[in-house]
Amino acid sequence: MDIGRGLVAVGAGLAVMTGLMTGIGQGYAAGKAVEAVARNPEAEGKIRAMLILGDAIAETCAIYGLLVAFLLMFVFQ
Amino acid sequence: MFTFLGVSLQIEIITILIVMAMVFAFLFAVNRAIKKADPLAKPKGILLLGLIYYKMMDGFVTGNMGKKAAKHYGPYIAALAMFMFLSNILGLIALPSPTANYSVTLTLALITWVLIQSTKIKFNGIGGYLHGFIEPFPPFIIMNVFGLFAPLISMSLRLFGNITSGSVLMMLFYTFTQWLSTIVLRSELLNVFGILIAPFLHAYFDLFAGFIQTYIFISLTTIFIGIEMPQD
Repeated sequence: MDIGRGLVAVGAGLAVMTGLMTGIGQGYAAGKAVEAVARNPEAEGKIRAMLILGDAIAETCAIYGLLVAFLLMFVFQ
Repeated sequence: MFTFLGVSLQIEIITILIVMAMVFAFLFAVNRAIKKADPLAKPKGILLLGLIYYKMMDGFVTGNMGKKAAKHYGPYIAALAMFMFLSNILGLIALPSPTANYSVTLTLALITWVLIQSTKIKFNGIGGYLHGFIEPFPPFIIMNVFGLFAPLISMSLRLFGNITSGSVLMMLFYTFTQWLSTIVLRSELLNVFGILIAPFLHAYFDLFAGFIQTYIFISLTTIFIGIEMPQD
């Protein structure tokens, strides 16, 4: 264990912080979805489908960060 | 990697063949049920499953691409969805999923990308396709070239990242519960905590994430191809 491996671990931790803004964004989208259902309760199925679709596309950023963290942790010896 | 008749193979080759065998088995079963079925009776069993799947895919592709294009692309999208969903949930039977390998997801995204470009060329001609790069101003060519490859990179990396991170997290979870069970039970025989808690994690990482990623992939494919077609 030398300082190189420690720095790699710090880098991996920084890479996962892409999840921060993803959480805020997806929570905001869920709030807007709830508002939309409250305004128009009949369209609940369509709103739910669109919410899931939008969430999974916005989650791509967090997944990129997680992927970079995994690559760092498991490839650098 | 393992060797077969002196050639070293990756495990993805075997798992892709297993997924294809599952898809073929389903299709043969539905075909046999169709031949034996009475057209006027209510369908049940595997025939009902096949009909539900067909209706679902038909409605989905028609909603995104229009009726005429759904006849062309419907079969490919339905086969892609079945293959991708079964690949994503292969972790449930203790096999590494083929979509956890970037080559497989890059190939699937490349097929979509080639379909998008060929649809663009078919409806605009090669001159129109090349002219589209300098719209609306000539300096936009850099952005248009980047926008050319953006769907390819994002679709392949999204599927790869979701499935691989799911499998890595499951491996970490099983290692942790093995260590915990060894300490609590004082023998390495049975991974008690892992067996108790794993089903819920599998339900999220394999079933839920696998289904959502399949839905996203075929949604984006149909939407990107449908955008290039003239509206009617």
